[in-house]
Amino acid sequence: MTELTTKYLRDEKARGTSCPGCGLRPAHLKVLEAIDRLGISQADIVWGTGIGCSGRQTYATWKGDTFAGTHGRVYAMATGLRLALAPEKKIILTVGDGDAYTIGLQHLLNCARRNVGVTVVVLDNLGYQSTGGQYSITTPEGSVTDSSPRGTWEQNWAGSGLDILNVIKEAGATFIARHTVLQGDAVVSSLEKAIQNPGFSLVQIVYPCVSHFGVQALGTRNIPQVYTWFESYPLATGILQDSIGSRPEFSEAFRQQNKKVKKGNQDV
Amino acid sequence: MRRIFDTGNAAICEGAIFAGCRVFAGYPITPATEIAENMARRLPEEDGFYLQAEDEIAALHICNGASLGGLKAMTATSGPGYILFADAFGWALSSEIPVVIINSQRVGPVSGITGAPGQGEFYLSRYLAHGGNYETIVLAPASVQEAFLLTVRAFYLSERFRTPVTILADQMVTDGWETLELPESEEEAQNMDLQRWERKVHPGPDFYPPTDAIDIPPVVLGHNTGGACSDWTPTLQGHDTEDFELHHKHAWRLIHKILSHRELIDDAEEWEVEDAEIILVAYGTPSRVVKSAVQEGRAKGLRIGGIRLISLWPFQDRLFKRKASYLVVELNWDGQLVKEVQRAARGSAVHFWGRCGELPSVKELLATAEQIKEGKTLSRDAWKTERW
Repeated sequence: MTELTTKYLRDEKARGTSCPGCGLRPAHLKVLEAIDRLGISQADIVWGTGIGCSGRQTYATWKGDTFAGTHGRVYAMATGLRLALAPEKKIILTVGDGDAYTIGLQHLLNCARRNVGVTVVVLDNLGYQSTGGQYSITTPEGSVTDSSPRGTWEQNWAGSGLDILNVIKEAGATFIARHTVLQGDAVVSSLEKAIQNPGFSLVQIVYPCVSHFGVQALGTRNIPQVYTWFESYPLATGILQDSIGSRPEFSEAFRQQNKKVKKGNQDV
Repeated sequence: MRRIFDTGNAAICEGAIFAGCRVFAGYPITPATEIAENMARRLPEEDGFYLQAEDEIAALHICNGASLGGLKAMTATSGPGYILFADAFGWALSSEIPVVIINSQRVGPVSGITGAPGQGEFYLSRYLAHGGNYETIVLAPASVQEAFLLTVRAFYLSERFRTPVTILADQMVTDGWETLELPESEEEAQNMDLQRWERKVHPGPDFYPPTDAIDIPPVVLGHNTGGACSDWTPTLQGHDTEDFELHHKHAWRLIHKILSHRELIDDAEEWEVEDAEIILVAYGTPSRVVKSAVQEGRAKGLRIGGIRLISLWPFQDRLFKRKASYLVVELNWDGQLVKEVQRAARGSAVHFWGRCGELPSVKELLATAEQIKEGKTLSRDAWKTERW
């Protein structure tokens, strides 16, 4: 328990539920650190989550208002919620690689296209780990997992020269960053920029799952060994897109648009 | 009173706006497209938001999100889009977030025939969410005017029960043109028995109390109440839990908040049922033919009556306790409402008259009633089986 968790997390959830060596907890704390540095009050943040390790384990941890969406649809929910919230309220979503990049991609891309004022934090544990370890679109190519006993062979978005973040960039996201959980201050700094963006931000924080990915793909549960491998895993990190302010934020633009409409007296 | 000539689709929009709906997200689909088009025109005039969603999955999730932030929201679709609502419907139902869903039924299964009426989603409207452990409210208009009235009621009930309310219409109700009367003052609204319920914010911390009480405000985010809301089984505070007893409390609330306050939901019209030997049963557009058949049948000396269901779910078993022969008239070939009537009318003979895409005629219904009276087996051609 740290000062941050006491300040921001609900008592009964403050301890966290992730496995030994998991990067979920440190990544989660980095989001709290960014909020703390920005000095945003609890009242001004609504925290949503998806499904999977990242969603389930961060749901209802935030002391303030919080919600969990159905798998992959939280971006559509945030789009509606954005219309109802005051502009100064921030929406932060902690989701997984499966939630954001596969089951929810349609909604994620449209959320980026609309430049909805929301910060999507993708806590990427390199696969579907809450169901016991199956490959996802970000699992390193060739990895043995429970659903790829002979190693993955399909091209995915973590190798083959393909990068999902390019797709999200083309969809119109105004801030995109990728970091590993080991990048300390740089992660917090990107999260600060993301949260300050009035429009759509996505920050991907990558960490290895020790319990499943470590055991299945790397053949070890030894935490230092898993992280030694992870340090040499090639990932393009840093800020990949910063066009904050280049496009109007969705709900703000919507209100401006509505102001142009001549108000009839058609209601009773 | 403003009197206009318009469609059921337009009536639904006016009902929604009267009830305070400020967000509509949808995806165009025949025969509900004009609801989206009307809302696109009308909502900005009321400082509301019309969104064309990327699909129906997003449409209802956007509405859920808006409602979660305190805005009343509605979406509309037909069969192929309705099935995509399943995910978000379950979320709103379990999280207890008010939202209104319109389904204008066309001919199925699946894409079927687009521009003709069907009644194939009677059971789906009851069981759209997976996992069971709930009751739900479904209303069925039979005219343009009633489409307006029931949309207002749907919003009212969705707020008081904090649950999604479904309007199960059909293509003829939504596409059909009729005279529509709209109130122009509070007095006129009261005379029309229109009720509205303002959104309130639950102050916390026990957002999910183990009670069958209604009028408990839903979780509304953005007020720093510590609102916690998800489709996981909730603790009293809305945290996720795997505890069976807490789950039982949750399911109990979802079921009994509806069943304990049925007087606010149950609605039906009965014609000449007191001494009837044969009672025709229908909802939606076919019920209008049933009404005419009862009038003409009585004129011919038949002891015939009719029941029109206005609320479909929870099902009104009490309406079928009279000893009589029931003839259930539906716009489908498989017979859905008839199964529920059979269950409710135990001890009475229950027959089925089905067709899809077009309405029965009064003549056909009366001829069938005569056959029942004479104790004949009901069947026309082999492929038009209606033996029950």
